[in-house]
Amino acid sequence: MRLELQDIRKSFNRIEVLSGVDLSVTGGEILAIVGENGAGKSTMVRVISGAHPPDSGQILIDGEPVALRRPEDAMQRGIHVIYQEFLHNIFPHLSIAENLFVRDDEGRFGSLFVDKRKMRNEAMQVMEQIGLKVDPDAPAQSLSVAELQMLEIVKSLSHNIELLVLDEPTAALDEKEASRLFLLIDSLKKEGIAIVYITHRLEEVMRIADRVIVLRNGRVTLDRLTKTTTASEIVAAMVGRSLEDFYPKESHVTGDTAVKVSNAACADKFKDLSFIVRSGEVLGIGGVAGCGKGEVLRALFGVNPLSAGALALEGRTVEVKSPKQAIELGIGYISPDRQAEGLFLKQPIFDNVSIVSLDEFVALGVIRSAEEKERVEAVVKGLNVRFIHRDAEAGSLSGGNQQKLLFGRWMMKKPKIMLMEEPTRGVDIGAKAEIYKLINAQAKSGTAIVLVSSDLPELIAMSDRVLVMREGKIVAELSGVENNQSNILHYALGSNT
Amino acid sequence: MNATILKLVKDARAAMMLVIVATAIAIATPIFLTTGNLLNIVLASSVVALLAAGQTYVIILAEIDLSVGSILALSGVATALVLQAHSVFIGLIAGIGVGVLAGLINGLLVTKARMPAFIATLGTMSVFGGLTLYITQGNPISVDNGLFLDIGQANPLGVPFPAWIVLAALLCFGFLLSRTRFGRHIYAVGDNPEAARLSGINVHWIKISAFVISGMLASIAGFILTARLSTAEPTAGMGEELSAIAAVIIGGTSLMGGRGALLGSFIGAILLGVIDNGLNLLNVSPFLQGVAKGLVILLAVFIERNSDVMQLFWRKIQKDPVGRRFPEKPVPDEGNKQKEVRY
Ligand SMILES: Nc1ncnc2c1ncn2[C@@H]1O[C@H](COP(=O)(O)OP(=O)(O)OP(=O)(O)O)[C@@H](O)[C@H]1O
Ligand SMILES: [Mg+2]
Repeated sequence: MRLELQDIRKSFNRIEVLSGVDLSVTGGEILAIVGENGAGKSTMVRVISGAHPPDSGQILIDGEPVALRRPEDAMQRGIHVIYQEFLHNIFPHLSIAENLFVRDDEGRFGSLFVDKRKMRNEAMQVMEQIGLKVDPDAPAQSLSVAELQMLEIVKSLSHNIELLVLDEPTAALDEKEASRLFLLIDSLKKEGIAIVYITHRLEEVMRIADRVIVLRNGRVTLDRLTKTTTASEIVAAMVGRSLEDFYPKESHVTGDTAVKVSNAACADKFKDLSFIVRSGEVLGIGGVAGCGKGEVLRALFGVNPLSAGALALEGRTVEVKSPKQAIELGIGYISPDRQAEGLFLKQPIFDNVSIVSLDEFVALGVIRSAEEKERVEAVVKGLNVRFIHRDAEAGSLSGGNQQKLLFGRWMMKKPKIMLMEEPTRGVDIGAKAEIYKLINAQAKSGTAIVLVSSDLPELIAMSDRVLVMREGKIVAELSGVENNQSNILHYALGSNT
Repeated sequence: MNATILKLVKDARAAMMLVIVATAIAIATPIFLTTGNLLNIVLASSVVALLAAGQTYVIILAEIDLSVGSILALSGVATALVLQAHSVFIGLIAGIGVGVLAGLINGLLVTKARMPAFIATLGTMSVFGGLTLYITQGNPISVDNGLFLDIGQANPLGVPFPAWIVLAALLCFGFLLSRTRFGRHIYAVGDNPEAARLSGINVHWIKISAFVISGMLASIAGFILTARLSTAEPTAGMGEELSAIAAVIIGGTSLMGGRGALLGSFIGAILLGVIDNGLNLLNVSPFLQGVAKGLVILLAVFIERNSDVMQLFWRKIQKDPVGRRFPEKPVPDEGNKQKEVRY
């Protein structure tokens, strides 16, 4: 199949998001699309999927003009999309097999009663193809984000498919899972399927894509074969200038122990965990998905409190039973799932930032709105958040800009201890560098930071020290020259690799 | 331009519907616009308006309170009984106390006992209603406390006392919802309870407070209704919970939670009152009044849910009069184009 977009335009509330986009992709080709947060990538994806028909312009399939007015139109033509916020498409309480075949249009498993056994077996088969080893009867909510992502891809494989669009699929994946995804993409490419791949990670573009397109302010500013371009040319086309000093690590570790965790355990997530974080230190925690690294942060923040062990802050033993208590003790937490656990998508953009800091500009419970506006504006400016109007709902922001709001919320609060999981998920390169600077600035002011990230270069560059976890235990502590990619992978995967 | 009009239609639909309906009735009958009749409408809408105010808090939280009609009756009866031996002040405290307690029970059932609000308040609606009937044995309780009756008939500045209460409630609770930390927390919990919990908000406490506010406003409605009629009817307020919910929905508050405002609910309550009153003046069969109100509710929700479809349709008939599939390129109107803010 060959898909072509010609001069596509799309506006929201009279503001043009796509201003005449041309692009084409052919079967057997991997086309990468990159661009800053809010450049219009996801909007273009929704044009291709029929979810947001364009205001003007043509869509051609194999040279024929087509109208994609609804997602069904696109699906019928074999166009499948894995959205940036794909978690919305998952039914958490249904089983994995049921989620896989939720659109069983052909009635393969019976038209009235569902043949559960047959469904189960077929689910096993397709999942095996891509090396996903899970019980098809388990509820979908028992899967990790990475596994759910795979599940979404498997879902489209069970239909006729000619074009697969992936909107930032690796944002939530670790190295190993990402490699598995690339293998899958490569085999699809060999089968002659066209692939559109959106990402903020340039090394992925160079690694898998045949061609790359850069979107900037709703226009294509670069269209090249990856063989004939360089990362710096791409970055220049994205942001209009060149970027250096990508991970500006500074060390601000002092001697004081800010956090001391002793023999901590939490249900079956992790056990016998002991470590300290000094003030001004960035402590990284690495490990493969399911090793319990994220659970440590959730326990310290009181989301799922510790079941054993002790936590001491600045030498004082405390018990954290709820996030409210944690915040009162000066702890902050950035959840890896911004939509489910972070943002209030129907509330104004500014309210999302100020929500944990309201106490600072409240008198007798009444909000001093001028002061609020001023404070939030400063934070939002520093993070380069792109929005149309500050009273617009947070849900109208692009994915990366939503992530910036979540980060900004805690920038404003300035807690003494900051726990962050995937703080730069979906954020573009320019803004990432901004966030790293802010993390450094926070450390400099004495904040103790615990950083969990599946992005290894980020983890290594930002951390003073990295703990590696495997199966709920700390298996290594790396710092200095030992803190490198091969060491982390070695300990994360176990000694036999 | 058209998008702007449609957005206005969506955001201010309750007010616009009110203007349209009122104009139509005013044209049909001259009595409608007399001061006496307008005050009648305000008076008749005051009970629903107070219930709707409380209901707005509950619905923004994506919950619902079906028990407000029963709470109204129970606290009205409590007030009347206490007044037989005590002062007006004690009677007021007793009535409001009953409302607060009832709201607290609802809140605890929904949070601590983890029951869906629809079921929990359906249950308490029956319990409170049954209690009222049992206590009164089904008979109205009359009140002969002079001060109490005077309050009920008072007309400060020519406007009946219940209308003043409604105005005060609108100002107080509107302020609470839109300008305070508590109000912010209500929207946050209604939008995303898990994110609210991770932002340090005590979700249970917020929900319980909303049910308490709802119960309290229902008991104030019970108090003024009893004062007005000088008797407490055990069946007062029956079915009013549905009118209140309708007023909230007409006013633009979303049943999905996280969105809404108090002013809309008040306008919704007045609109329902205007329809009742207008149809009475026009001698329309009372049996048809339900039909009319139902249609208004459907229309309000239709506009909310379909504004995007209407927008597409509008654009289509404008740009695409003959139904071609690919409209020509629109002329860019740079002069009108808003600028995106970029920090
Ligand atoms: N439904 C909508 N209503 C209003 N504005 C929208 C809507 N969807 C997107 N936008 C706006 O369109 C612009 C482009 O958004 P889009 O999601 O396409 O960006 P993106 O390139 O995918 O960015 P990211 O890398 O952050 O995911 C943003 O400024 C966003 O605020
Ligand atoms: Mg996007």
